Amino acid sequence: MKNATQVFLRRLPVTMIAAVVIWLLLRPAIDTAVAGLAQTLIRSFEYPRVTRLVVEDHQAQMRRTDLRTDSKVPSVSMTEVTFNTIVLLALYLALPHPFSRRQLERLFMGWCVLYLSQSINLLFHVKTLYAMGLGEWSQHHYSDLARNVFGFGRYFTDLPGRFSFPFLIWLGFNWEVVMKMLGIHEETPKKSKTKKKTTSGRG
Amino acid sequence: MNLRELWQKPEARFLILFLTILGVSFTVVALRQVNDAFVTPYTAVIARMSGFVLRIFGEEAVVTGCVVSSPRFAVTIYNGCNGLITSLIFISGVLAFPAKISAKLIGVIGGLLTIQLINLVRIVSLFYIGVFLPQHFNDAHIFVWQSLVIIAGISLWIVWAHKFALPQESS
Repeated sequence: MKNATQVFLRRLPVTMIAAVVIWLLLRPAIDTAVAGLAQTLIRSFEYPRVTRLVVEDHQAQMRRTDLRTDSKVPSVSMTEVTFNTIVLLALYLALPHPFSRRQLERLFMGWCVLYLSQSINLLFHVKTLYAMGLGEWSQHHYSDLARNVFGFGRYFTDLPGRFSFPFLIWLGFNWEVVMKMLGIHEETPKKSKTKKKTTSGRG
Repeated sequence: MNLRELWQKPEARFLILFLTILGVSFTVVALRQVNDAFVTPYTAVIARMSGFVLRIFGEEAVVTGCVVSSPRFAVTIYNGCNGLITSLIFISGVLAFPAKISAKLIGVIGGLLTIQLINLVRIVSLFYIGVFLPQHFNDAHIFVWQSLVIIAGISLWIVWAHKFALPQESS
């Protein structure tokens, strides 16, 4: 197990570089996908449906169809929202057999969860702007409770979320692999055709 | 499986403790009183340390609150740039892991110092990227150094668990 830890740590710088390259290549698609899901979620609870999130130069521009055309368009940096994909990819690729079917399935599931968290982060950015950043309009359309809920959601999905979600997702989907690597995983007994032994290593 | 049985499984106990400590610590640092009394002064200390290192390198760095400025460039150290979030994730991992109190103490102190050292290198390097490659400052700041700091924190936790917290193997 100790060797597995050392191999993981040796691989990590290399997989980090690979993850940066993959993220840079996929960045336009990731930006569009995250903004698309965030827009769908926002419009699901919006009447009339006026929010449009347009990605330009890695910025999600918040365009409302009911705003004046000469209004300033606020935007959110998509780099800040999606950069943690690099961390998730680097951690996944550093594990043993990263391209086995099982690990690729786990990577896909983990990436889906991270994608959802990134979309929710963008949603909270937009809703916080609506609830707090548009002066009298915000005061009129949003309650203090809504301001607190959206502010709280934005805070938790911002720095704490962006920093900890890749680690938690990686740990959650690779629990037994990581615990084996660290040496605190208790092997679950496999079903065996042989007779049950009366002696065992652990009580 | 009831809660008691779940709690007796080391991996389940680790995950529950980790998430609880993480949630509580992030909530505590979000409180305005804690922010004013601890987070902002802490960030100012990081700024002063960065200014000190830059002056060693010959920069005419002046620190005002959380801003490190020189005639060549200026950086403002915000909450996300002070290493606190990475430190909290690391501490949560150390405290939740099944290990002796002494090992946890070594982990917390050693980890915090190492994360701050890495963060200091980050701030100084970003200052020089701002001086010499200002067009790459944002990219270096967000996706290169933030990813590096998170991965460094996770690596430190794995190293600590590997070196200090592994249960003794029976011979």
